[in-house]
Amino acid sequence: MPSSAATDPGEVSDIDLVKHSQAGDTRAFDTLVTKYRGRIYAMTYHLIQNETEAWDLAQEAFIKAWRALPNFKQDAAFYTWLYRIAHNVTYDWLRKKKIQADGEFDDERTEHRVAAGAEATPKSDAAPDTAMRNAELGQRIQEAIARLSPEHRQVIVLREVEGLAYEEISALIPCSLGTVMSRLFYARKKLQEQLKDVYETTL
Amino acid sequence: MKPPSEDHELIRWLDGEMTDSEIAAFEARLKDDPLLSKEADELRALSSAIREHLPAEMQVPHSDFFNSQIQVRIAQMDLDKSRRKESGNQSLAVTLLTWLRHPWSATAGAVALAILGFVLMRPETQSSGHSLILSSYTPGLGVEASTYHHIEADATVLILDGLEDVPADHKISGLSVHSSDNQSQFATTTLFDATGSPLLVVSRDAFGHPLFLTNTTRG
Repeated sequence: MPSSAATDPGEVSDIDLVKHSQAGDTRAFDTLVTKYRGRIYAMTYHLIQNETEAWDLAQEAFIKAWRALPNFKQDAAFYTWLYRIAHNVTYDWLRKKKIQADGEFDDERTEHRVAAGAEATPKSDAAPDTAMRNAELGQRIQEAIARLSPEHRQVIVLREVEGLAYEEISALIPCSLGTVMSRLFYARKKLQEQLKDVYETTL
Repeated sequence: MKPPSEDHELIRWLDGEMTDSEIAAFEARLKDDPLLSKEADELRALSSAIREHLPAEMQVPHSDFFNSQIQVRIAQMDLDKSRRKESGNQSLAVTLLTWLRHPWSATAGAVALAILGFVLMRPETQSSGHSLILSSYTPGLGVEASTYHHIEADATVLILDGLEDVPADHKISGLSVHSSDNQSQFATTTLFDATGSPLLVVSRDAFGHPLFLTNTTRG
């Protein structure tokens, strides 16, 4: 399960920030928002593939977290708890939208793929042609992921981006370990098919 | 298509979910199976590319606005909460006020006090099993209380004269009243305790006077 970011010396710990937030200190909560907004937004964005919706859902996750804070017992890391809330908020949204990316490709969903000023691709000092190829590959990968069904996209994001173990994924979704493995396998096969041309030349 | 377990083995190896012995066995298979080895290489390259191009952290567009909006919504929630609380208190006050203004409040008050007086003035021990009412008091100037023991019903009947009419459908509840039954054809309301035993029957006599029939053999 994703854990909290490393705490710099002198930085107030998550535990203290959570305690202050639970006492109604909105400034402490604001600090937590600042600390984790980038990771929560990345997760919602990867699952939704739409900047505006991902922004709203990330915000909704923080609001839900604020509401649920009185019940947070600190038996898990704050970020793990927050991540679960954000995941549920996002997946509920996906379920409501009933996006079936296995079918037709929805251009609108990838139209605003890259947020203004967002670091969707890592900074690179590579030569311009290499950087361009890298950017094109990144775009192709994001498009391919956008075409996956929500279930397949979900396991790919949880495994490849968040680095969750199978057991953690199965607990979060929730589903059996076998389902996690099957979804991961077929999601990767679909990505492979979609990226076949890129694959043979670049990968 | 390969059996699912084989696919699972491939991705378990890829994702580092195998034990050391499983890794050794699977990598031995990879050496002997060029097709499996090629597929493993492709999937590993794909995973690597995904990880590179899907960052775990992204800059939130308009991040200051993102934070400030959350603060605004939290403040709004707090405001709504305090308004609801205030509204709840007002609502309770309005309900009580409405109830007190209701013509029935005087009646109910008179009945309650009369019954209370009746209970308090009941002798501690009664060999005959029925109450002896020594005196009665009603706070309403226009209400007179009188009692008598009904032998057949083995109950003390409390008559309050001068009360306003009780609508047949009026729901009455009390401290030990668990349920009530309105029988409009007989213009009676019977109050029951938790065990289903009748506590009080509210009705009228032949002259239209209110009748309250209580079971005084209860403790």
